[in-house]
Amino acid sequence: MSKRFAGVVTLGVAAALALSACGGESAGGDGGADKAAGGSVTLKLVAADYGDGPTADNSGDKFWKGVVDEFQAANPGIKVDVQVINWNDIDTQVATMVQNGQMPDILQTGDYSGFVKDGLLYKVDEVLSANTQSDMLEKFAEFGKVDGTAYGIPFVSSARALFYNKELFSKAGISEPPKTWDELKADAEKLKKAGVTQPFGLPLGQEEAQGESFLWFMGNGGGYKDDSGKWAIDSPQNVETFTFLKELTAAGLTTPNPGTKDRKTVWEDFAAGKVGMVNGGPMSMPIFEKGGLTNYGVAAIPGKSGPLDTTLGVEDWIMAFNKNGHQEEIKKFFDFFYSSSAAQKISDTYKLLPVTKSGIEKLSGDEKLKPFLDALPNATFYPFTDPKWSEVNTQIKQTIGGAVTGDPAKVLGAIQKVAAAG
Amino acid sequence: MQQTSPLTRAARALAPLAWIGPAIVLIGVVVVWPVIEMIRSSFLKINRSGVVQGSNGTGNYAKLFEEPDFPGVMARSVIWVVAVVAITILLSLALAQLFNQRFPGRRLARWAMIAPWAASVLMTAIIFKWMLDPEVGLINMVRHDLGLLDALGGADADQLGQAATAMPWLIAVAVFVSLPFTTYALLAGLSTIPAEVYEAAKTDGASRLRTYWSITLPLLRPALTVATLINVMNVFNNFPIIWVMTHGQPGYSTATSTIFMFILKRSDIGESAAMSVVNFGMVIVLVAIFLKVSKWKNEVS
Repeated sequence: MSKRFAGVVTLGVAAALALSACGGESAGGDGGADKAAGGSVTLKLVAADYGDGPTADNSGDKFWKGVVDEFQAANPGIKVDVQVINWNDIDTQVATMVQNGQMPDILQTGDYSGFVKDGLLYKVDEVLSANTQSDMLEKFAEFGKVDGTAYGIPFVSSARALFYNKELFSKAGISEPPKTWDELKADAEKLKKAGVTQPFGLPLGQEEAQGESFLWFMGNGGGYKDDSGKWAIDSPQNVETFTFLKELTAAGLTTPNPGTKDRKTVWEDFAAGKVGMVNGGPMSMPIFEKGGLTNYGVAAIPGKSGPLDTTLGVEDWIMAFNKNGHQEEIKKFFDFFYSSSAAQKISDTYKLLPVTKSGIEKLSGDEKLKPFLDALPNATFYPFTDPKWSEVNTQIKQTIGGAVTGDPAKVLGAIQKVAAAG
Repeated sequence: MQQTSPLTRAARALAPLAWIGPAIVLIGVVVVWPVIEMIRSSFLKINRSGVVQGSNGTGNYAKLFEEPDFPGVMARSVIWVVAVVAITILLSLALAQLFNQRFPGRRLARWAMIAPWAASVLMTAIIFKWMLDPEVGLINMVRHDLGLLDALGGADADQLGQAATAMPWLIAVAVFVSLPFTTYALLAGLSTIPAEVYEAAKTDGASRLRTYWSITLPLLRPALTVATLINVMNVFNNFPIIWVMTHGQPGYSTATSTIFMFILKRSDIGESAAMSVVNFGMVIVLVAIFLKVSKWKNEVS
């Protein structure tokens, strides 16, 4: 009896040992073992599609194939399998992969924070060389941290600047883009006299009111939060900002009824030569050019007493999952990616901006990108790490436009109330 | 006397289920279950990505009723429904009367009436928004050419930019897309009224107005009731017209309950579910009021 029991125990221990041996190999020694056997490691990369779908010339598949081909040529032992998913489906599809335990090795998408709590990601220190890390723009990398540890690696960014129609400017006798609010107002009046129906394009409607408002707040040293991190939507600076916008609107110097106008519409009006100046990003350039407008200039956004030295920054992320244990290979891929010509390609193909100092360097020759690149290292971000942001954002999009027709203090106060509530 | 076992009796009693069972299952799955699910989720705390974080009691409702824009939105929804349905029914009565007459080109006119129905509501709304564009809209260009508008591109040309001018346009588009169905429902009703009744009225020397009031309208009642009911529900739950043309803006000043529900969903799914339940209740109340009113009319006549 006791002998038999002992036998079972021995068997069990042996089995456990065998299992753990297997486990050890697949977790840690995989890469080495494979390479020793002359095989190669396959990295699975899942990425969002910045292009116009799988058949378009600018499809994500084509972009990544270019990157991967170059990488594989330089690293014969590593293969990269790319799966590109459109923005609408990527969150749910990745969630399914995670639930089924079929994590990719590398994921490129709009957010990383959801995977941190479950311990699914490599720390940035583990998969990104010190060189590449120090090349990252600090302000952008900072947002990749959860409780002081970085998990998300900035992938691409975008920023805003002032676009102005050079032809309309010369018609109105203006030689330079405005630097201050006073100059902006004076120029808008000149444009109006010259017959421009919307001297300043002001989209404070549902689509992007939170962005446009933020840019104006920055011009007066304001923002959604104060320096101590408290919500300050109805701060005196912000009220003053919207009081100025209200005057502009009342004088007929902006898009009519700004609180109902979407960014896309105003950009199209700018492209059609109906708008004198408008805030936009690199992503609006194709829209302008498609609408037939090429004679435009780009400048820093005017602030109350001088041009902004910051801009509204937006960034997407890339991250590494630790499940398959391909740490070394992932590191090689990341280092390759950030030192390759990928930044140039992203900028050319998708009108998105780099997140590294070297990337900015590479693009600095482009006159139209210069205002964006100058402001990028000092970018300001939405307070999107605050759990209240989504609710506040919804409220801003719907109601902040009312501040240019109604009482700015009251409208901003109502939004502040939503932000400050429980 | 034959003895039937309880089992046989039970089987016999259940036999009809074989016929109505599929229908019950269908109604259960398609109608009852979603309603229960909707009511259930209105009491839950749900995060933005849809993960349930436990019960929220009546918290979602409390938050909804405290929204400063809630009373305005509800009042606007009722005005919206009453205005759109009333105008639609009045116009449709006239159109149905017209289409019921014989005139050259009647077939063509009847076909043309189907157009707004055949086109997608979304497309119709987009086209109207485009025609009302302050810079290049067709309607504004015509107004400009007629001298009703000083200049394109300004606030005067931007009728969708202010609630006072946007609401009438929204209502007009909603009426436009509701007309075909209503007209055809009433036209079908008109064709069921026998010609003899009219002949009798003629012999009695009744005036045209009197004939319409005492014969046509009462006999049209079933068609009228159905058309109104369906319109009330459709218009109350109409979303694309307002969403495409104004997003409920400026502020919430052109938003109805479905628009409000959709906006809430972006920030608080639980509160949005509470709004759905309120919306559901409102439709039932409106329908109940309408049925009561139309029955009352029946007793009077």
